[in-house]
Amino acid sequence: MELAEPARKSSIWEKLSVERIKIELLRTAYGQSRTFLSRFDPRMLIGWYSFFAIAPWFIHNKTVLIGMLLAIAVLTYTSKPSVLVFIVLAFGLVTDTAYMLIVALAFGGGLPAALALSTLTLKLLVIALASIAVFSSMDPEKLSDALLSLGMPAQFSFGVAYGYRMLPILIEEYNNLLYSYRLRGRTPLRKGLLGWRSLVYMGKISILAFYPLILNTAKRTRTTVEALEVKGFTYAVKDPKVKRIKLAYLKILPRDYAFLAISAIYVAFLFWLGNQYTL
Amino acid sequence: MALQSTEEQPIIQLDNVTFRYPGAEANSLEGVSLSIYRGDFIAIAGSNGSGKSTLCKCFNGLIPTYYSGDMEGTVFVDGIATAERSVAELSRNVAYVFQDFENQLVRPTVYDEACFAPLNFGYEDYKERGMNALRMLEIEHLRNEWIWQLSGGQKHMAALAAALALDPDVIVVDEPVAQLDPAHARVIYEKLKLLNERYGKTIVVIEHHTEFIADYCRKMVLMERGGRVRWVKSVAEGLSAVSELNEMNIQPPQVTQAFHALCREQAIEGALYPITIEEAALHWGSAAKRELPSTDAYASAASSSRSAGEPLVRFEGVISGYQGIDRKKKPILQGIDLSIHEGDRIALIGNNGAGKSTLLRLISGLRRPWEGKVTVCGRDTRKSTPEELSDLVAFLFQNPEEMFIADNIRQDVEYFLRARQQQGIEPFIEDVLRRFKLTELQQRDGRLLSGGQQRRTTLAIGMAMRPTIMLLDEPTASLDIASRKELTLLFDQLRDEVKAVVVATHDMQLVADWANRVIVMNEGRILLDTDSRTVFQHPDILDRAALVAPQIVQLCGRLGIEPACLSVEQFIAYMERAQREELVYGIG
Amino acid sequence: MNAGSMTKRWELTPQQKLMIFILSMSLYGISNMITELIPELKIGPIELKVEYFIFIPLLFAILFNPLYAALGACFGEVIFGELLLGQFGGLGELEKFIEFALAIFVAGMLVKNPANRRQLAIAAYVAIGIDQLLGTIVDIGKVYFGIEDFEAVPGLPESVLAIEGFAFLNAMIVSGTLFALLPTLYLVPRLYGKVEPLLGMKPRDGRASASLGDFVTPRLIILSIVLFAIAGAAEFMAESDINFIDWESEFIAGLGDGAIWISMGVAAVIFIVSLIWIVSRKSGKRKGEMV
Repeated sequence: MELAEPARKSSIWEKLSVERIKIELLRTAYGQSRTFLSRFDPRMLIGWYSFFAIAPWFIHNKTVLIGMLLAIAVLTYTSKPSVLVFIVLAFGLVTDTAYMLIVALAFGGGLPAALALSTLTLKLLVIALASIAVFSSMDPEKLSDALLSLGMPAQFSFGVAYGYRMLPILIEEYNNLLYSYRLRGRTPLRKGLLGWRSLVYMGKISILAFYPLILNTAKRTRTTVEALEVKGFTYAVKDPKVKRIKLAYLKILPRDYAFLAISAIYVAFLFWLGNQYTL
Repeated sequence: MALQSTEEQPIIQLDNVTFRYPGAEANSLEGVSLSIYRGDFIAIAGSNGSGKSTLCKCFNGLIPTYYSGDMEGTVFVDGIATAERSVAELSRNVAYVFQDFENQLVRPTVYDEACFAPLNFGYEDYKERGMNALRMLEIEHLRNEWIWQLSGGQKHMAALAAALALDPDVIVVDEPVAQLDPAHARVIYEKLKLLNERYGKTIVVIEHHTEFIADYCRKMVLMERGGRVRWVKSVAEGLSAVSELNEMNIQPPQVTQAFHALCREQAIEGALYPITIEEAALHWGSAAKRELPSTDAYASAASSSRSAGEPLVRFEGVISGYQGIDRKKKPILQGIDLSIHEGDRIALIGNNGAGKSTLLRLISGLRRPWEGKVTVCGRDTRKSTPEELSDLVAFLFQNPEEMFIADNIRQDVEYFLRARQQQGIEPFIEDVLRRFKLTELQQRDGRLLSGGQQRRTTLAIGMAMRPTIMLLDEPTASLDIASRKELTLLFDQLRDEVKAVVVATHDMQLVADWANRVIVMNEGRILLDTDSRTVFQHPDILDRAALVAPQIVQLCGRLGIEPACLSVEQFIAYMERAQREELVYGIG
Repeated sequence: MNAGSMTKRWELTPQQKLMIFILSMSLYGISNMITELIPELKIGPIELKVEYFIFIPLLFAILFNPLYAALGACFGEVIFGELLLGQFGGLGELEKFIEFALAIFVAGMLVKNPANRRQLAIAAYVAIGIDQLLGTIVDIGKVYFGIEDFEAVPGLPESVLAIEGFAFLNAMIVSGTLFALLPTLYLVPRLYGKVEPLLGMKPRDGRASASLGDFVTPRLIILSIVLFAIAGAAEFMAESDINFIDWESEFIAGLGDGAIWISMGVAAVIFIVSLIWIVSRKSGKRKGEMV
């Protein structure tokens, strides 16, 4: 499988080539390694996460929030998330804050509004980092098993495994279909202002390429579903025994309790600290 | 080759089975009665559309449970009628490996795939069962591999392991050779043989490559059009029925064809022909001792073209490759120097990962060299886009379905010219469609065509681009032999219009029949650049590139005929000449 | 595969539904991955961005089955666009999930005849309209709900409405036309009758039938709604924070340490409840199986 080529002559294609995207995606999806958090039980982690996703909304004390942020930032660091994830996070945060600031300024808010926004940003940051720390280090299959045990339909966990299986193949196929358009098509003769003609051409074929992709995928899905029938998947979905066997490996161990206990003590300490020194 | 003793009750038994797909106009199976016994290794052969796959889908209940067509007659598996059991239940007796094995793999890793079925059936020891299956096939080392990173052969192996995990009595494999190169296909068959001999599994293969049938199977079922069983015979008997097989578009092994042509008269009525190289070598062992110069039909085609003028394509010290997941550069081509001239018909051969596809992509401009320079008709590919180069180069992908981007075949063929807003193209398009026998099919979608029709379509697409150079990636992969022959004939159509053709292939028959220049690649380097006759004189190089010479070439090697005959016809001519001369010497 | 359907109303077998689900999931998932990575173009307040390829699930909703297409697409987005990229957003995904599924489902149900271009155009705008409208309402609701005396602040309601309204119109016109209307009008007539044989089924005739019950368990719906409510409430709280803070210092000064202990108490309760929930789920399941 070919992944990407380094750009020599940098055209818009090279900068935005599907091959580039592909390599980024594959790196994130398949590059997982063991991290500190990945050692714990995924269900415990989901519970842990839901605390840090919800509690900050009710906490107005910046000391506590900063304390939480520090701890979560360390955990996020240990889970080695990809640069891509950070870019998306930073982007979301910047746009959200900017939007809020515009609203605030629109009705003549000054320093208090900015201050209020900084608390809000802090909260959003805690929540976002908590999700990155937990979910980016968690093996998606483990996560899907945890969700399965929490009542998600079995189709979801099948989807995760299938996604892993098909992702590179679908991207490769999409890429080749784009090549087919390029090898038989023709770029606009004039590039237009800021190359807008090229941009439109590019956008057009990236959408058009979904047409053959849909047809090809339809064909392959037929065999897949037939194979799923033979492999008993359609029956297993309805069988609680299968779910139990599949999830038997999920066990909450003493270290999970220890982790929860330490987190609880740390949070309690933060509240005490926040009580002493309110920012 | 004797039939092994079997137990009394057949493991699979069909009683007068007739089946019609919903909405179909004709029956796909017509009054089929068939018994398969425990421990059999049986091949089901027949022309396209003779109902081979339909027959096998009856064994595991996909018919009539999943395909709810009209069915008459009964199918018994292990003495129980399939109509009384579900597909899932039957899967414990009969495993099925689809021809399209790629899409039957639904899990991310090999181990996961192997455990999937036992888990779904609620076996507590599903992990152990999965591992057992991997152990039986001796592929434990692949357990943690991502399936998408496997080679075709390894994927097929994973599919087989998944089928084995339920420990079935019968394993049905639909055309194992179709999607694989010959060397990998042989590995699969070796494993099937192992399963049959060591673990006592009953193996049913759908197969029309008779050389594999000869080497591995013991019994053979011949299906004919309309879904009838013509006969069930032992393989030796079955393959000796040369004229009957030819009638069904099935080619007997090359040695059998040769024997049929040479010794028909001498052979006693009903006697068995040699079907493997060993048997053939035994038969002709004495006849061909003498050294004779073989025919010179091909002699110097390659060397003559090479001097002529400026090359069409020139590689100068080209290094290229891709970036791995770890962001490290992985060079695939390491310093390629190559010139392609007018009149070249190049077969590019080598194992998977040798760099064949990368080389083709460099010419098409889809990929650019890291170092060195690729020039196509005087244009530096680094300074041109693939769109610009497509005026000169047509690149046909390995998977035809990735080339069907328009609404129907005709529009696909027209696409290139329409994009260039050329007027009055209809007569030309009509002509191309006619030449590639697509006029009847032009309104259909390529994906619903047979493999051979799909290839013809891609060739037509390429031709309609009026290229100077045509590049083809594995054009004969997954074709039956009749379509292969047809395709090789169509290649001759290219000769007048296209100045040079480069074909990346594993198909040694194509190399022998068509190419006038052969380039062997290995680990990103050119190992050998020669003509098709010479290449077969280097068994060491063929070995390194994981290639298998055509059977007749191997036979020549065994008999000490040098240079080897490249086709059955040449061999027959050679043997006839040898006999004549023997006669002459005998008299003198 | 569907012999029975010749006489009956156009209906899919469970296997065919699974096909639609997988198809919608993998294709929308892939497209979602791609759109996530395409940078956007901002000219002043006008955002030219590739929001999503909403036409993909819409095609399947129109051609086959709205419910499975909608669910497949949502799963595809979460799996490909979030999980595999390590961007799973936790609770925040739920809101999107519900809005999007509803939009595709309703739009798909609207089309009776896939060959009718007017119906297709309506469905395309309805799909993106429902999705964007729900999003906008939730956003405006958050600010409205969150800021006390919202109407008393001069210019605020207008500015919020203007910003949200503009974003909505922008999405409707740009994304709605480029990624819903045009591709749908182009692709549906081409795929109708062409993609079905590849899946081994007959083209649909008449309105598709869909039964919610066989896929979505009531428990899942209730769970989703509850979590949705929690997520929504939590976000309201966050928004409300903006204005509370102005007087928060006084509030804290007035109440002393009490406020902090209230917050901490709430936090602790949530912490314990979520723990109990998980543990009880686990033991409950065990018991359930023993029976």
